[in-house]
Amino acid sequence: MNKRSTTIYWTGFSVILALLIVAPLVLSEFWSRFLTEILIWGLLAMSSDILIGYTGMVSFGHSAFFGLGMYGAAAALLMVRPPNLWLAIVYGLIGSAGIALFVAYFSTRLRDIYFAITTLIFSQIFYVIIFTWTDLTGGENGLTFSRPALGIPGLFSVPFSSETLHWFVLAVVTASYLILRRITQSPFGMVLQSIRENEGRTRAIGYAVERYKIVAVMLSGLFAGLAGVLYAIQNRFAAPDFVYFLVSGETVIFNVMGGIGTLVGPIVGAAFFLLLRETFSRFFTEFYLIPVGAIFIAMVIFMPQGLLGFMRRWLNQ
Amino acid sequence: MAPVLRTEGLTVRFGGLTALDSVDFEIRRGEIRAIIGPNGAGKSTFFNCLTGVLRPTAGRILFNGENIAGLPSNLISQKGIARSYQITNILPNATTLENVRIAAQSRRHSWSMLRHHSAYLDIIEKAEAVLEAVGLRAKADELAANLSHGEQRNLEIGIALATEPELLCLDEPTAGMSAAETHDTMELVRRIAKDLTILIVEHDMQVVMALAQRITVLHYGDVLAEGTPAEIQRNPRVLEVYLKT
Repeated sequence: MNKRSTTIYWTGFSVILALLIVAPLVLSEFWSRFLTEILIWGLLAMSSDILIGYTGMVSFGHSAFFGLGMYGAAAALLMVRPPNLWLAIVYGLIGSAGIALFVAYFSTRLRDIYFAITTLIFSQIFYVIIFTWTDLTGGENGLTFSRPALGIPGLFSVPFSSETLHWFVLAVVTASYLILRRITQSPFGMVLQSIRENEGRTRAIGYAVERYKIVAVMLSGLFAGLAGVLYAIQNRFAAPDFVYFLVSGETVIFNVMGGIGTLVGPIVGAAFFLLLRETFSRFFTEFYLIPVGAIFIAMVIFMPQGLLGFMRRWLNQ
Repeated sequence: MAPVLRTEGLTVRFGGLTALDSVDFEIRRGEIRAIIGPNGAGKSTFFNCLTGVLRPTAGRILFNGENIAGLPSNLISQKGIARSYQITNILPNATTLENVRIAAQSRRHSWSMLRHHSAYLDIIEKAEAVLEAVGLRAKADELAANLSHGEQRNLEIGIALATEPELLCLDEPTAGMSAAETHDTMELVRRIAKDLTILIVEHDMQVVMALAQRITVLHYGDVLAEGTPAEIQRNPRVLEVYLKT
């Protein structure tokens, strides 16, 4: 990146960040909450982009990582007294990383559609386990818990308001974005992109491709789990619906709509999709999926690079 | 001097077809060796065995005295055998420099995650030195897909070189090149041969005769003859099966 585009990038970044910081003070309670939720789904989408966009592996199992993050947070919030925010994050990350390692170990031996199907099947296995193991997970009803306070033990502790929750989520998502962006630009990130471009050649120049894929899936799962933790804290419940493959499918749709391989694109895609759903479900009630589906198909045909790719080309003209 | 690479009874069978039939082969350090033979003689199969693409049915491949037969290609690369491909096999959507840099990076820093790749100056220096060596310095920021065919072939060699090999296997490096490009590539191979051992499969007899110190002729998976270019050109069996046709 040259100096000028670096300046433009950081200016844009600061402006958007500033808008997102101010947003809860300006928006109504409903839209403010909606924006927080967009950020959380955006983080999930972004985590999946590491695989789809950068390594060339389409995961249909991100609901499992998201869900394990949720249930991990639930475990911490229900078992440890008083409920601790940071412990919820740690439990969620351990849960999702553990599952990600398990899934990665088996699924990275396969490629393309076989990888996608394997991740899908694994996530459905976890769904069934969570759905049926009622004693531990609450089964169909899931688990409810109270929201932990925002604070640092021994220093301060304040209950979350909707503004502070938004800012907390924004801070976590922004930090995750910066970390993921740095990873994609690091030597390790270069290897992932090389695997995407030409797996055989990447192996031939000395890379143990499978190991890089396992680490990529784990990283991706870790950030998906973080999104799950945030969602659990926002909504004060963990439910099996969020481990169901529909969530994985939506994650892929966010990526395709926004533009894969860009990290920002998936967040844009999540925002766009959720806004569409919100708008259409007001007019079409439960039939909202019909117009949303039609728009998605049109987008895939007319802007295969997603919203971000489309905007980029439009700006360059 | 001990051979850098030796195969003992190297055999590859595909079902009923024997592609390599108990090949015993040796190459000294610093040598430029050509492997020639008609189509289907087993040249590519031989390369594929050396570089871990194929697992031999039987036999041993000793590289610096260590048996590497059946190891995956990434481990063989790490041990010091590199390869350029007959069909250009690069990262088309990356720049020339990026293609070489990713190869150079396979020896160091490849797991680093938290610093920007441009902060690793040793990798960039290595990559630039390789581009200099293969004559692509001026095209460093060009997309690999936009290079001419001849340039892409040399980039192939550059990628292989960037992994700092001891033994470099070149699979038809001058295929499809113009006379001028062929000449340049031969010069390039001579230059890099000063520091490493080169094994070359080539159809262009002028290239083979001019470059190779010794030639091995494969025929139906067997070593038919081996010797200096002059000996090979006079060998009646070689003339019969190969050079005449």
